[in-house]
Formats: sequence, structure tokens, C-alpha cells
Amino acid sequence: MSSAATTSPSVDKVDGFSRKSVRKAKQKRSQSSSQFRSQGKPIELTPLPLLKDVPAPEQPELFLKKLQQCCTVFDFMDTLSDLKMKEYKRSTLNELVDYVTVSRGYLTEQAYPDVVKMVSYNIFRTLPPSDSNEFDPEEDEPTLEASWPHLQLVYEFFIRFLESQEFQPSIAKKYIDQKFVLQLLELFDSEDPRERDYLKTVLHRIYGKFLGLRAFIRKQINNIFLRFVYETEHFNGVAELLEILGSIINGFALPLKAEHKQFLVKVLIPLHTVRSLSLFHAQLAYCIVQFLEKDPALTEPVIRGLLKFWPKTCSQKEVMFLGELEEILDVIEPTQFVKIQEPLFKQISRCVSSPHFQVAERALYYWNNEYIMSLIEENSSVILPIMFASLYRISKEHWNPAIVALVYNVLKAFMEMNSTLFDELTATYKSDRQREKKKEKEREELWKKLEDLELKRGLRSDGIIPT
Amino acid sequence: MDVFRVMTELRARYEEEGRYLPKETGLDLIQSTAQDGGGISARCRDVQVEDLWGLSTFFGYSTQTFVLAVNLLDRFLALMRVQPKHLSCVGLSCLHLAAQRGAPAAAGAAALSSRRELIRIGQRRFTASDLHRMEKIVAEKLHFTASAVTPLTFLHLYHQAVLGQTPSRRDTLSLEKLEAQLKACLCRMSFSKAKPSVLALALLRHEIQAVQSEDMLEMTYHMQRHLKIADAELQAWGERVERCLGDYASPRCSRPDHRKLLWVVSRRTALHLQKSKSCCPPDLPTIPEGWDPGHSEDSEDVSSGEESLSSSLDGDGGYFPLHLRRRC
Repeated sequence: MSSAATTSPSVDKVDGFSRKSVRKAKQKRSQSSSQFRSQGKPIELTPLPLLKDVPAPEQPELFLKKLQQCCTVFDFMDTLSDLKMKEYKRSTLNELVDYVTVSRGYLTEQAYPDVVKMVSYNIFRTLPPSDSNEFDPEEDEPTLEASWPHLQLVYEFFIRFLESQEFQPSIAKKYIDQKFVLQLLELFDSEDPRERDYLKTVLHRIYGKFLGLRAFIRKQINNIFLRFVYETEHFNGVAELLEILGSIINGFALPLKAEHKQFLVKVLIPLHTVRSLSLFHAQLAYCIVQFLEKDPALTEPVIRGLLKFWPKTCSQKEVMFLGELEEILDVIEPTQFVKIQEPLFKQISRCVSSPHFQVAERALYYWNNEYIMSLIEENSSVILPIMFASLYRISKEHWNPAIVALVYNVLKAFMEMNSTLFDELTATYKSDRQREKKKEKEREELWKKLEDLELKRGLRSDGIIPT
Repeated sequence: MDVFRVMTELRARYEEEGRYLPKETGLDLIQSTAQDGGGISARCRDVQVEDLWGLSTFFGYSTQTFVLAVNLLDRFLALMRVQPKHLSCVGLSCLHLAAQRGAPAAAGAAALSSRRELIRIGQRRFTASDLHRMEKIVAEKLHFTASAVTPLTFLHLYHQAVLGQTPSRRDTLSLEKLEAQLKACLCRMSFSKAKPSVLALALLRHEIQAVQSEDMLEMTYHMQRHLKIADAELQAWGERVERCLGDYASPRCSRPDHRKLLWVVSRRTALHLQKSKSCCPPDLPTIPEGWDPGHSEDSEDVSSGEESLSSSLDGDGGYFPLHLRRRC
């Protein structure tokens, strides 16, 4: 845990709170990986000949030797050490990348364990702790990986290896096993987005090729998400994992297995509750919509789940939820719509009258969506009574004139849709309001009478008016 | 409830109503104009009146205001040749004039802000001063002072008279409902030719027949004779009213045309919308479930692989693949 001082006495406090940006004024150093540092002895690697300069039969063996050499890990935190050797390793890695892409017949059975070993040595490491323990993914710059010049090539190499035509999962599965996958998943917590991007591709290919690992991967991703939602609320790789899941969900066979439906209800929906939703909301929404396109019967539990977790204090999240809801409604089947229209529009009615103008605006914009309009039209006798009171009220009371103008659009649409019902509702609304006003007036008069009574009593007794 | 007084007033209004009728030749001209014939057609006028109906509901104007506005509009259109592009300005100025009743073509700050608000909500493209000018033109041409004799005038009087005679039936004949029905009728140009006294009576009779009250019907005959309204005329308008109200009350919804409406959203929301629309396509190819990637797999491991794994995984637990468990 970083113990760097977060405030110094000279920092100005605004409103009693120190500004975040001032807190970050200290210089950021690029973090190294927490790798075992060499004892100070310079690393020496004997330069090997280039692969293209060696006759074909000798290439596989040279390949293995180069892999062995690349297992040596360098300390990038010390920017001046071993520069020549670092450059050598970089160019060797580059060469390996090209070699794997174009060559044929180089992949012997011996190569597999050596490749996996080289990759493991390079990428599996304890991730450095976050620079500040309040790293805000949206505002702060991520800490980038110092050894990226090598790391990137290792990832590149591994991906080409996996995608190679000669790659045989039946051999590879002895070395790319559950332990490997577990360590790979842990790396998704890296702060460096470039690394996560490569990891995403790596895991995607592994999932595609190793059928035996699929259930394990899904289970582990489940665990990560559940820990994220219910324990730590910290994990940097949620968006990338969700992207992979998107491609998996897209490929689900019908009818959907119970395991997948469980995943939707127990993991994906609760994911909506975390504070950092904005970082991965797009991917999450995509997964949800894919699920619904696969099995429309899931619409009701999904929407009820969203309504249950509807944000009550965070407007930014509310806007996101509204966006997701519109995407869901874009693909909803009319029969499903009818099942959830009441609770749904009760919520929309609340959003529309929200004092936060962005929330109100986003909710009102639903009426610009042709498909949603057609659904509303078909069920206007149910929906209009739910929406009417808040629409009518905000048309008179909302502080934001732009919202009032949008409300006019919506009311006009309703007026044209179902004039009789609209007129009835207007009449009832007006009479309800009059009744309320009357009651209020009566109440006030009652209080006034009581006050007068009190005054009279006071005056009668001793001439002093009680306060 | 002084029925005698009501009857006297009815008589007086009846004498006056001719003054407030739109010129018949003018109305004919509009009705005969084809939709895109370069002039104002009946459809144009109807659309404009519907728009005014929306605005007056939105702003909470009374039925009186709306009916007066329609009357002014019809009279003006029948009198002057108006170009279609000016129609919305004319319509809005009639509405504002009617709303300002008693202070026509007002120029104060309050009037200015109400004009601005009307233009903003009504999504019109002209300015408040344009509107003001048009109001003055309309008021001048029609010699408008504060009010006119409209079908609503008669409706109120008839309603008073009928209820005066049958006070026990007060609840069955709702004035609000009648007013709503009147508004629906006024949206159709065909009713502009009707004499207000006749239209109102036809409307009232239609509703009374619906609630099936003989006493009230009796009263309407009485008033008809008092005003010397011809049976044939009343009958003809009665039929038209019935047709119109049949459409109004039908459960079939008329599809709104949103292209007419302008959706102006704030910059932030617009950015947000754009982002969500454009970020959909994923760049990872789909991985089909249980799909053999084409390589030969060992039978013992994979034939029992995906399918049996998943089928045994109903509910929680049992995620651990069988063949891997064997290995450990």
C-alpha cells in the first residue's frame, strides 16, 4: 500500500476539502514491475545468429535457444542498466514475432513448453500497487507499464503463436492449463490499458481454441466479477472481460443453458450497482442486449432487475441506465413489452420529473424513438394514465425551459394518439388539483381559527398575548 | 335559476351571432382549394387548429380562449387571402389575441414574454414582433374588441337552461365533456359554416340522447322553438356532429407524425446519444458454443467436453470439468 503523503500543510483547502488536482501535484514516476531485481551484475547474453541466416533444418533448434534467451527479464526501473542487452532482447523478440507469423514447420512438440515458459517468465508478475489508493479511473492517468517495450512484443508473439496455422491445441493444452489461465486472469487488473487490450485478445483466442478450459474460464470470470461487486469494487479489467463475454454470449446455442441464465441474473445485473459503472457500461449493455436477442423470455427478469437497482442518488448513472433501457426497448418483443410496461413507465415517469435536467431530457427523448412510440401507441390506454400526472405537472413547474419544450412534444404526441383519454385525464387531473387546493384552504382556515381562539383565550385571562 | 332571463339572453345572442360568422364565400373558397394548390386548403386549416388545441391545452387556456381563437381564425381566413407560409403566424396571433381578451394587441412586457413562450413551445420560426404586428392586423380587420358570440356562448346558456329545469340531473350532463366535444368538432372546417346556436344545440341534443333523459330533451325542443331554429337544419348538423364525435371517441388511435416536432436536446445529452450509437460493433469475433475448432481432439477429453459439462451444470456447483478433475 502506498504510504505517500496525500496532503501537505501548505495546500489550500477549498470548502474544507483539499483539491484532488493539488494532491496529485507531486511528480509521477513510472512504476516498474515488482520483479526480482538482479543483484547488480550486468546480464550477459551471447548474441545468436539471425534465424533467416541459418539453413532450414537448424532453425527449430535456434528458435528454442532464442526462446531460452528471452526468458531473461530486465529491470526497466533502472533506465540506464543493460541498455545493450535490452536492445538485443527487443530485437530478438521482434525476430521471433516475424518468424512465427510467416514460417512453416518450426513448431515441434518441444517448442510448446518453451514458448509457454518464455511467455510465463515475462508476463506473470505481481502487479505494482496503485500509485495512490484512490486511483480514479476516469480522472487520473493510468500508471503505464515500464517494461512495455519487451512486454508488448511478448504478447504479440504469443498471439501469433496461438493463431498460427500449425498450432495444435491438443499438444498445447498440456502447458496452457488452468494454472496458466488463472495467472492470466489476474493480469487483467493491470492499470496499463495496452496490456489489458492484448490480454483480451489472448484470452479470447485461448477460449476459442481450448474447449476443455471454457467452463473453467467462465467460472473464474464469475468469481472475479462477484468479488468485484460484493467485496472490493476494484478491478481494472472489467470492460475487457465483458468484451470477451460479449463474443461468447453471441455464440450461445439455443435453448440457453441454465448456467448462462444464472450468470445473467446473478452476475451481470448486479454489476450495474458498482460506482465505477461508467468505465464498462457500454460493454455491459452490449452483453445484456445480446442475451435478450438470444432469449427474449429473459426480458422481464432483466428489466425488473434494472428497476430494482435503479440509481437513486447518482444522476450520471441514471442517464446510463436510461440509455441501456432504450437499447433494450429497441429489441424488445411486443408481448414482452406488455408484461413490464407498468413498472417500467412508473420509473420513466419519475425520471421525467427529475429536477436533474439531463435525466429528464434523456427520458423524454424516448418519445423520439419510432419503435418505442409504436409500442406506446399500442398500449396508450395503460401508459398514458401513468405518465400523465408528472408530464402535466412539469409542464407547469419545471425550472428548465428546454425540458418544458420537450414535454410539449410528448404531450402533443399523446394528444394525437388518444384524444378522448387525454381529455378525460386532463379533467380528472384538474378536479383532483381543485380538491387538493380546497383541502389545503380548509386546513389553513382551521389553523387560523385555532390561532384566533388561542389569542382570544389569552386576551380574556390576563390581557397578555401569549407568544 | 331564472329561466326567463336565460331565454332573453339566448334571444339577444341569437340576434348577434350573424355578425361573428365567417364569410361563407371565403369558407367555400378554402374548402375547394386542393391540398397543394398554392392556397390554404381545409386540411391546412384543420392542422393549424389542432396545433392551437395542443398549445391551448399545454398552456392551460380556457375553452373560451380556444373557441374564440378558432372563430377569429376562420373569420380572418374567410376574409383575406392568406399565403400558406403565413398561416402559422395568423393562427398563433389569433390564439394570443383570444388569450389577451380585453387587451387586444397588448404591448406590455408580460404580453411580450407570453408571445415569446408561445413561439418557443410552438416551435415557430418568426419573432415576437412579427406576432405582434400580425395581431394588430387581425384585430383591425375583424374589428375585434374583446369577445365574440361563439358556439360556446350558446352551449353555456343552453346548459344553464336545461339544468335549471331539471336540477336533479346535474351530474349526468357534464359541461366539461360537452366543451371537449365542441373542441373536437371545431377541428374540422366543415363546422365553421354552422350557426353557433345550431351547432351548440345539436351537440347538446347528441349528449342528452346519449344519457337518455326525456326531460332534458323536452327542454331542448322548447329552446329550439324559442329561437325558431328549423328542424331540417338542426337535423343535418346533428348528423354531422354524430359522425365527428364517432371518430373522436373511437379507440383507434391516429398515428402522430413526429417529423413535425423538433427535438432539441442539450449538448451534453447529444454527445451522450452519439457515443452510445457509435460504440456498438465489437471487434472480437463471436465464439460459437460447443464448436470444434477443426482440430482433431482426443475423444475421451473433448467428446465429453463442452456439451456434457454444460448439461450437468444446472444450478450452482459442478463447474469443475470431469476430465480435469481426474488429472488432479
